[in-house]
Amino acid sequence: MDQLWDGFATALTPTHLLLAAVGVILGTAIGVLPGIGPAMAVALLLPVTYGLEPTGAFIMFAGIYYGGMFGGSTTSILLNTPGESAAVVAAIDGNPMARSGRGAQALAAAAIGHFVGGMVGTTLLVVLAPTVAGLAVGLGAPDFFAIMVLAFAAVTTVLGDSRVRGVASLLIGLTIGLIGLDEMTGQQRLTFGSLELADGIDVVIVAVGLFAVGESLWVAAHLRRNPARPIPVGTPWLGRADLRRAWKPWLRGPLIGFPFGALPAGGAEIPTFLSYATEKRLSKHRDEFGKGAIEGVAGPEATASASAAGTLVSMLTLGLPTTAVAAVMLAAFQQYGIQPGPLLFERESTLVWGLIASLFVGTVLLLVLNLPLAPLWARMLRIPRPYLYAGILFFAMVGAYAVSGQAADLLVLFAIGVIGLVMRRYGLPVLPAILGVILGPAAELQMRRALQLSDGALTGLVNTTFSITVYAVVALLVLWPLVRKARSRT
Amino acid sequence: MTWLRERSELGVCAVLAVLGALVLVDALTIPTDFATRGPIGPKAVPVLVGAALLVVAVVLARDVLRGGRGAAEGGEDVDLSAPGDWRTVLLLCGAFLAATALIGTAGFPVAGFVLFWGAAYALGSRGHVRDPLIAAAVSVLTYVVFDVLLGVPLPGGPLMGVL
Amino acid sequence: MVRKLVAAAAGLAAVLLVPPLVGSGGDADVGERVRGLRVLVPNSPGGGYDVTARTAAKAMEDAGLASAVEVFNLPGAGGTVGLGRLVNERGNGKLVMSMGLGVVGSVYTNKSPSSLADTTPIAKLIEEPDIVVVGKDSPYRDIAGLLTAWKADPGGVPVGGGSSPGGPDHLAPMLMAKAAGLAPRSVNYVPFDGGGELLASVLGGKVAFGVSGVGEYRDQIQAGELRVLAVTGPERIAGIDAPTLREAGLDVSFTNWRGIVAPPGISDTDRERLIAAFARLHSSPQWRDALARNGWTDAFQAGPGFGEFLAGENRRVAEVLKELGLA
Repeated sequence: MDQLWDGFATALTPTHLLLAAVGVILGTAIGVLPGIGPAMAVALLLPVTYGLEPTGAFIMFAGIYYGGMFGGSTTSILLNTPGESAAVVAAIDGNPMARSGRGAQALAAAAIGHFVGGMVGTTLLVVLAPTVAGLAVGLGAPDFFAIMVLAFAAVTTVLGDSRVRGVASLLIGLTIGLIGLDEMTGQQRLTFGSLELADGIDVVIVAVGLFAVGESLWVAAHLRRNPARPIPVGTPWLGRADLRRAWKPWLRGPLIGFPFGALPAGGAEIPTFLSYATEKRLSKHRDEFGKGAIEGVAGPEATASASAAGTLVSMLTLGLPTTAVAAVMLAAFQQYGIQPGPLLFERESTLVWGLIASLFVGTVLLLVLNLPLAPLWARMLRIPRPYLYAGILFFAMVGAYAVSGQAADLLVLFAIGVIGLVMRRYGLPVLPAILGVILGPAAELQMRRALQLSDGALTGLVNTTFSITVYAVVALLVLWPLVRKARSRT
Repeated sequence: MTWLRERSELGVCAVLAVLGALVLVDALTIPTDFATRGPIGPKAVPVLVGAALLVVAVVLARDVLRGGRGAAEGGEDVDLSAPGDWRTVLLLCGAFLAATALIGTAGFPVAGFVLFWGAAYALGSRGHVRDPLIAAAVSVLTYVVFDVLLGVPLPGGPLMGVL
Repeated sequence: MVRKLVAAAAGLAAVLLVPPLVGSGGDADVGERVRGLRVLVPNSPGGGYDVTARTAAKAMEDAGLASAVEVFNLPGAGGTVGLGRLVNERGNGKLVMSMGLGVVGSVYTNKSPSSLADTTPIAKLIEEPDIVVVGKDSPYRDIAGLLTAWKADPGGVPVGGGSSPGGPDHLAPMLMAKAAGLAPRSVNYVPFDGGGELLASVLGGKVAFGVSGVGEYRDQIQAGELRVLAVTGPERIAGIDAPTLREAGLDVSFTNWRGIVAPPGISDTDRERLIAAFARLHSSPQWRDALARNGWTDAFQAGPGFGEFLAGENRRVAEVLKELGLA
């Protein structure tokens, strides 16, 4: 604890406070750009920090990181173009909220979600770092596969009104996920000999294609021609009713996000989705989900931030990067001649505790700076419809092209956009397809890895206490509605 | 004809079935003499997905024939009472594909300009001076921010070579 | 996907971290300077070939050996997308590609239409040895113990690596198995998404042993969390107390390497000029500094010698992958 106070003493000097603020602002600004998520934001702004001493530099990174995360969800909410995979879920309810004039509320729910997630996550980081890191390394492929099964069980809550159409959508996603070289054996699947497809299709491209391009095409087919009224702006603040609905998701999110972030196969996609499914299950307004339920923004956003804090656990204590951002930060440490790993806390105590303290500071700054901006951002949607949709398509193109620099990716984006159009026309929900792309390859990989580690014995899937526990939870989730139905009948 | 028109969702079933067959064929042509460890190789999951696609295609077809219809998605900007305006969609597709074709040769600023103006035009904007100006500003600005300020390389094309 | 992003982001960082160029040396003969050279990098920014290419380009400019060197990325399919482009630029004497062992294997696993035999070899630049590593709680105390257990039950001794099939971390254990008298098919190789993900599995004892480049693991080794059983290269690594595989009685020597190739059909003058430029790079103090900074082992080999080396590596890789059914 003393070390943490020393850390705050480091983080709260005027210079460091200023660096954190600059980091948050720059991170948000760059995170808003298409195709640039927090990992790219940190990487792009590395040179800005080049002239600083290491502690100052890392304090700025912390700000950029959290700022970039928030910037990514801003475009997700306003333009339906997720800038990074952690923000995909935020688009599902955030964008409908923005369209119906509740953009400021959606952004505020996201900002407060990030604040709560960052605060709770960082606190858990301080208290639990060594314990969690030890546990994370103890988990292996069978455990991860069990988590994937849990996630698939949760997909049933988002299949929509028509089961068969939901399943069809899920299968389309799974098929897209199959494209590319098989990760375990290097065999080509569904690439038709094209080298461009050998690496598979990035989930952000799928999300932007189905959400942004698909929607633009669908709107084009049925554009309201009556006198175009601009999107209403509504009240700029969260009302009492909003707060009443959002506070529980804000607090639940970190509990899902933090442990996931620390896992070697974690990341933010699966926990944000699990948070969404949980909130939908627990909500009294279940039918509002997908049409602008504030819980669907609050929970996943808090989850995303807390998973970022979890990521830092593995990185700082083990030198293990579990996400892209962590890998970039690892590279940044090395540029300063610092090797994160088991010896980091001893060797660089001032820097590490200064960094942790600045995570708290950065989280607070993010909220203070962005909450007032939310209504301003939301006003952006008042531009005329043709410009709005032209802008969305433009954004989608830049995002898909900027990272890889290949026109082939634009064709893939377009093809997925056309699929999105057809799915909207015939009432196939879009969300299960995205989940198929995220969950399918991960589940297959972990299952086959588990079976390989056990040399083909099927018991390799259930040979850990953790996996058995998770399967028990899955069984409960699946059986509970049946039991309830049976009871209500008698 | 009207019978088919009312049941155009059968087309979705057909697409799903074709997709399923494609996945199955692709999976079954993965070489078998391959050294696979464990009971589940590279074929298992695609076979499962392909078979499931076929089943879903049949189930969906049955649902459609019994009168089930997928509800087209509504939304703030969507007017489902109007018939589909496929000309606008084609124009939009044209703008996007033109941009894709141009980006390698003419460079990003030109491609972005074509996409933005084309999309705005397709969606009914007719500011013959304002639209191209906005499109040019947006695409050049984006180019400058990415390529010059951030160092994310975008192709400048001959135009930027001249400037 | 994470891997792609990481690579992209880290690479951008690498590019931008390079401070602005100071005026070029000026002491070299201007007539011999290579002007307008373009370097194709066949993987994402931040990947191994990218860092090598950018470091070499900068050292060349700083040493006054070349001016206006442009490095660009064309990633995809383990480097074979870039290779295809290079082979199409027949006769272009102003273009080279940075590549390495990984591309040799990718040509087979991706069934690439163009191969490295189509290119003009210019120079091999650097090497990095792999290590055979276990967690601190592993029952294997030394390489002999591991090999005994491995030979007794290859399926029950899973080996983890940070590259997909055909990549360096995959080839190393396969070559080890062959030398130990095991059929490559019997090896239970579990691929992970890079050295980081593999690290967790080695630390947690999920795999019996791991094979990876030494760079990422130095701190863990120093902290005593990991035990290095052997070094795969021909020589021991300073600061790591482990024998080479040869010393342990396993006749295999394996190092990951990176080098430069040019398009096919370039004129003899162009070829000589490119080889001379990289030879002069090799003897420049700027390149020496870069090697030390990045912890790379100098392994320079010019033109024809590199060509023979490439052909040898190609044979070795093809042989292993054929036995596995991958080629």
